[in-house]
Amino acid sequence: MSKKLKLDRRKDIPPIAISLESTLSIKTGTWRYFSPLHKNKIPPCKHECPINQDVQGFIELITQDKFDKALKLIRRDNPFAAVTGRVCYHPCQTVCNREYFDGYVSIAALERAASDYGLYTEKKKATRNKKKKVAILGGGPSGLTCAYHLRMRGYQITVFEELSVLGGMLRVGIPDYRLPKNILDREISKIVDMGVEVKTNTKIGRDIDIQELENRYDAMFIATGAHLNRKLNILGESLKGVISGLKFLRDINLGRKVSLGKKVIVIGGGNTAFDAARLALRLGSRTTIIYRRTQEQMPAYIEEIEQGIEEEIEILYLTIPIKITENNEKGLTVECVKARLGDVDASGRRRPIPISGSNFFIKADTVISAIGEDADLSYLPKKLRCQKGVITTDENGVSSCFKIFAGGDVTDQPRTVAHAIGSGKRVAMAIHKALGGKTLKKPEEDLPVIEHEKINQDYFEEQKRIETPILTPTKRMRNTKEVKQGLKKDMAVKEAMRCFGCGICNQCENCLIFCPDLAVERDSDSFKVLYDYCKGCGICMLECPRGVITMEKEPIE
Amino acid sequence: MKKVIIGNHAVSYGVMLSRTQVIAAYPITPQTEVVEKLSELCSNNKRVKLLKVESEHSSMSACIGASMTGVRTFTATSSQGLAFMHEVLHWAAGARLPIVMVNVNRAMAAPWTLWADQNDSLSQRDTGWLQFYCETNQEILDTIIQAFKISEEILLPSMICLDGFFLSHTSEPVDIPLKKDVDAFLPRYKPKYRIDVNDPHAFGGVTGVNYYFEMRNQMQEAMDKAKNVILKTGKKFKKSFGREYGLVEEYHCDDAEIILITSGMIAGTSRVVVDGYRRKGKRVGMLKVRTFRPFPAEEVRRVLGKTKKVAVIDRNISFGHSGIFFQEVKAAMYNEDVLNRPPIFGYITGLGGRDVTPDIIQEILDYTTLNTKPKDDIIWIGLKR
Repeated sequence: MSKKLKLDRRKDIPPIAISLESTLSIKTGTWRYFSPLHKNKIPPCKHECPINQDVQGFIELITQDKFDKALKLIRRDNPFAAVTGRVCYHPCQTVCNREYFDGYVSIAALERAASDYGLYTEKKKATRNKKKKVAILGGGPSGLTCAYHLRMRGYQITVFEELSVLGGMLRVGIPDYRLPKNILDREISKIVDMGVEVKTNTKIGRDIDIQELENRYDAMFIATGAHLNRKLNILGESLKGVISGLKFLRDINLGRKVSLGKKVIVIGGGNTAFDAARLALRLGSRTTIIYRRTQEQMPAYIEEIEQGIEEEIEILYLTIPIKITENNEKGLTVECVKARLGDVDASGRRRPIPISGSNFFIKADTVISAIGEDADLSYLPKKLRCQKGVITTDENGVSSCFKIFAGGDVTDQPRTVAHAIGSGKRVAMAIHKALGGKTLKKPEEDLPVIEHEKINQDYFEEQKRIETPILTPTKRMRNTKEVKQGLKKDMAVKEAMRCFGCGICNQCENCLIFCPDLAVERDSDSFKVLYDYCKGCGICMLECPRGVITMEKEPIE
Repeated sequence: MKKVIIGNHAVSYGVMLSRTQVIAAYPITPQTEVVEKLSELCSNNKRVKLLKVESEHSSMSACIGASMTGVRTFTATSSQGLAFMHEVLHWAAGARLPIVMVNVNRAMAAPWTLWADQNDSLSQRDTGWLQFYCETNQEILDTIIQAFKISEEILLPSMICLDGFFLSHTSEPVDIPLKKDVDAFLPRYKPKYRIDVNDPHAFGGVTGVNYYFEMRNQMQEAMDKAKNVILKTGKKFKKSFGREYGLVEEYHCDDAEIILITSGMIAGTSRVVVDGYRRKGKRVGMLKVRTFRPFPAEEVRRVLGKTKKVAVIDRNISFGHSGIFFQEVKAAMYNEDVLNRPPIFGYITGLGGRDVTPDIIQEILDYTTLNTKPKDDIIWIGLKR
């Protein structure tokens, strides 16, 4: 390629040291041991999301003030943006890489903003109706999500619901001050309006036989949830005045009158316990929560615990109820014993050990027991394998029986709205595949999740998180208005700007600008590395703010 | 248009009139107003890029990078700043980049000082830069415009020196030429070699023993050529603007028995003193050296060959020897077939900005008159007793 220079005479020598030939003939790419590769990664928020939502994607759309498109993107996975924006426990925020900089991004508030300000409704009817029919047992978040995804793909869907209204736990388990009914109605009606057949007041096993459904439908999805209140197994549990947390929440949510009296004791430390306790407060009762471990072990979300404490709920930790008796006059007495924490048990938490002789008594008008929920498996066919009180399935909701799928709280997974929606989505895909549909979605490649060390924080400016406005405790108690208020539109845009966009190329061109060999070129809407010249120095990788570029060892074609 | 402006602002106007495209500078007293005015003048001008850099080493490096892409490039500095540039000054010249720089002469520390002498720029004598020493604010402005033209023709950078405070901060009437006239005099820079992403070449790469020597020889040839280019450019400038400066300026030298050799603003003071002696009928003249690099040895020989005594005023010192202009003048008089070699007196005065008044120059002339030849290489004038 390069010819031997012959500059024997003085006048041939140029005044400056310049290569006679173009340096393009020098293929410095041969020096390379590692090759840079532009490849989007998985942001931790998406990875952690039980619904696997494109969190970064919708946040980026919000930065561009495109709330409609943001909502559309969320609804690709999750038809309950307004719900998850309010009541999801947002694991996405917990893993947000910005936490290592100036605090996580308020993802939940942004999801809510997308649903508050974005307008998007799927077309009324799926473009092409398939003949295949799917029965969905249970009209909760899991069942409805599955119905939504399958209806989008043209299947004939029938949802069977025991209660008179759809929504499952979202309807009867979550109080208005966390999730207003009109918001829930809006989300559900969008799904129903797509042409989903709904049969309410239909209990499987009572009103219709499960075997009959199995015969009539091409596939069945069981998502009947966990609506049985777990027993306390102590004396006096069946006394009048001892009520179940789930039933209490259900009655209030369905608009029934419940009188609790002046003093209420709630037993348990989960979300149901806190929901029940905070509702009792709003009904005018003084409320005490009894929990056998400490706050650290409480399964309720920290937000609920904090807001409950703000609202002046009394919490007795390390307290085990052992007996409930009726008073002579009126009301109940709960006998308790104090506990200390022992070794770690099967749940991974430290076991409470009663301290003998520490017994004491508390009086109450009503005792609400909320120590957990169980699934009703009594109506299921015998052949369906169940274990530990739930239906056994694989991660896609495939059960032990052909064309029977299960998801949500009736299966072995964390009992959260997000997990219910996530399983509904995965089951829909599994059913689609089982009924001969093509899986359009590429199998999730084994892309790495982007760690905070890969983010070049030098390119970001510190910007404090915009906190979600919360009603003051006194204002909250006056009515059942939502405690958490939404972000204003401009605040949402500003907060969205804080997103690092981990692992997703936004074409900032840093790689192109910083490459000392001009070996990065634009390639329509992405970049091309000229491997003939790239020396593999890695500067592009270091200067990529979002960690999109990785250095790969093997030669890249 | 005539304006009364300080020397530093004369620099800024000259740079803008020359349609400089990239300016990279770091402020330092007494140069600061150059950059201040420039940033003001180019704030709304999209054709100029003013780079704020973190040091003088960076400013010269940025100028080198910019100049290599083929744009007209300028910087300004002073004293320690110039010293900090030293390494890259060699590079700019060796890479044959026509960068123009203003150095506002300021004495070197320690001890800290802000006032004028020439040791900063003269320390950079051997870097391959052209050096001009200016006497007035008008000359500053005119020299900048000329320097771009000269540098771009011979492919060596130019350093224009002005005395700190005496010129940089003194207001004088300056005739600011019209833009269109300057454009006609100084057309766009058309580089022969430049960095071009569409035709990539390697620049400044390792050059072995086979070629480096010849390339250094070419630099010296360019310096030799510069003399004629400076004269030619000066003549062309005169045609457009009516002013000419040359390599040296002779002032009453023709019949002079004593010739003062000066540079920078001291030349201005010397004129007054020479005028005074002339009025008394004494045959005294002055030779102002405007270009120190290339050194006008021929002109010096021609002028000094007719006189009886020479007095060189140096506002600088090469420690361990003598004044630097003194050395250069003496060297010019040797080796060549010069018929008359008058005694040369080397005076050092005004270091660190001490004023060189007409009295001081008179003292120098009187000493030269009274003594047949210098007793020493250095005659200190104005030292405290």
